[in-house]
Amino acid sequence: MSDAAVITDIPLVRTFPVRPFRHTGAVLLVGPLVLFMVVFYALPVLAMLARSVTEPSLSLANFTRLAHDSVFLHVFGTTLRTAVAVTVGTLLLGYPVALAMSRMRPNAAKLVLVIVLLPFWTSILVRSYAWMVLLGRHGLINEALLAAGVLDTPLRLLNTPIAVHVAMIHIMLPYMILPLSSVLRQIDAALPRAAASLGATQWGVFRQVVLPLSMPGVVAGTLLVFVLSLGFYITPALVGGPRDLMLSQLIAQQVDLLNWSYAACLSATLLAATLLLLALCQMVPGVRGAFRLGVR
Amino acid sequence: MTKRNDFLSRRHLLALGAAGAMTPFAAYRALAQGVPLPEIPPIPETLKGTGELRIAGYGGTGQDAERTAYFQPFEKMSGIKVRDFAGADLNKVKAMVDTGNVEWDVVQLSQGSVKNLMKHGDYFEKIDYELVDTANIDAVYRSEYAIDMLVWSEVMAYRTDAFKGAVPVGWADFWDVKKFPGDRSLDGAGPGNPELEFAVMAAGVAPDKVYPIDIDKAFASYDKIKASVVKWWETGAVPVQMLTDKEVVLTSVWNGRMAALQAAGVPAAISWDQGLLKRDAWAVPKNSPNKANAMKFIAFSTMAVPQARVSSLIPYGSVNSKSAAFVAPKQLALLPSSPDIKSRLVPYDYSWWSEHRDEVVARWNKWILA
Repeated sequence: MSDAAVITDIPLVRTFPVRPFRHTGAVLLVGPLVLFMVVFYALPVLAMLARSVTEPSLSLANFTRLAHDSVFLHVFGTTLRTAVAVTVGTLLLGYPVALAMSRMRPNAAKLVLVIVLLPFWTSILVRSYAWMVLLGRHGLINEALLAAGVLDTPLRLLNTPIAVHVAMIHIMLPYMILPLSSVLRQIDAALPRAAASLGATQWGVFRQVVLPLSMPGVVAGTLLVFVLSLGFYITPALVGGPRDLMLSQLIAQQVDLLNWSYAACLSATLLAATLLLLALCQMVPGVRGAFRLGVR
Repeated sequence: MTKRNDFLSRRHLLALGAAGAMTPFAAYRALAQGVPLPEIPPIPETLKGTGELRIAGYGGTGQDAERTAYFQPFEKMSGIKVRDFAGADLNKVKAMVDTGNVEWDVVQLSQGSVKNLMKHGDYFEKIDYELVDTANIDAVYRSEYAIDMLVWSEVMAYRTDAFKGAVPVGWADFWDVKKFPGDRSLDGAGPGNPELEFAVMAAGVAPDKVYPIDIDKAFASYDKIKASVVKWWETGAVPVQMLTDKEVVLTSVWNGRMAALQAAGVPAAISWDQGLLKRDAWAVPKNSPNKANAMKFIAFSTMAVPQARVSSLIPYGSVNSKSAAFVAPKQLALLPSSPDIKSRLVPYDYSWWSEHRDEVVARWNKWILA
């Protein structure tokens, strides 16, 4: 829904009184949430992160250990690789859907939206188990391929990186499609028409008008999917192979070993990597707009 | 150390909240209905009291069974009000004691977890064995800060349709991919431990000589089976699913899951020999405000009849040697604590694991990623 666009078009909002009052109003509106986040999120997270440098003694020993830990480096690599693959996958699959939705009649678009959101209403656990059933050697996919004569022997799909990617892309797709379709639908329909009337081919219209205007959605979706994928735990554990260990699994394992400081150190690294990525994105020209999503 | 509950590791339960119907066996999760439960004889005055008691378990069907078997009768017979919670967790106990905000009086853990945390400080109260029926509870089940109360087993399970009637017995057979061809799965190092015991027994170590485990020998043995293990699982639902889907022909599994699998008609069976006899235990967090009530409850729940009531409801065994007389013979045959089965199992050594877990897991991580 383009609620944001609709709201900014209401004159009342635009001409709302003088600046100082507006400022106080904003503080009053945002204050409770900020306070909530500081007390129940920021402080506990900081306290947890502090453990990474204060335990067992005040030092950077945990981080030095990290740099030489072959297991950590391997797992960090797997985590980044998986997050990139899932992000690219959801973008390639999600963009056409979002584009189609932006060109549908409102009712049809709503129906597609519901279909896109359907998986949201099922727990990740259930969906991961469903993929176990689908991807298994005697699962639906292999059985169908065997019956159709495409294969002679079943493929090994389950318990491989492929299974992790497929299952995670499925789970992450709505996070890509929603910001994309929200941005695509806000593109003024007159612009592609103008481009076409000036002689641009369909591809030209997409390449030079639609795609650049949709970049805020691309960036928002990409960041959302990438950041969420970095923290995946259950899906890789259920459908992945022996070597598909993700960072969050390693963190959980260290927590279970009561190595809280090392787990905190791993978490700090994951958080730092995520923040660094956001900062880098901010620096890319044309991407900054993505953070002002919906406000034109 | 390992924390097992009937269906999912508690981490997954916590992480995902609704751990409702996700396997084909959901229908079999309900507790056995209409099972006649033995009546608990009157309890001594020393176990009665006032006030309340807060118990944390692993949730799910297991906790439902515990509630029927002994939370409710205890409340009625002792006069102590019982409130029970899901989500028992060693890390939470640590946090509660550290912050002086102890919300649980009795927690379901394992002897190993309790030993591990005690290495970090004074986190548990000593069990009051004056009240406990120690005459009928084996010494292996009792330790200073925890007492076992639920006996289960980590065993080998196989597809009965996979080997033309041949039955794998012991871990040497599990490791023998010529005699028993097909893919396998085994415990990995997630919330639980890799079962080095299985690896050394496969390498020829006698069941009574497993501890102390020769770690080098275990990993050398793992090297030989690595190529055939398609999944090193972290939660008990996975091996059950993989057996059902014929993804593996042999696996290690928690015994409680197999009853549901067989009830669903899957041609699979347990091979009990050389399985590990494991236990869940009660422990009392340090400075629990209802410590006295906690000790009374612990004594009550480990008595013969309350233990027999749990075993009547779920296929997990009893720590009290007098319980067997109160369990129906058909159910008794499924219990790891029944005399015929117990003698074929290796009692899990929680002390050894508490000493070596860090070392084993670090080595495991390197090995699995190599």
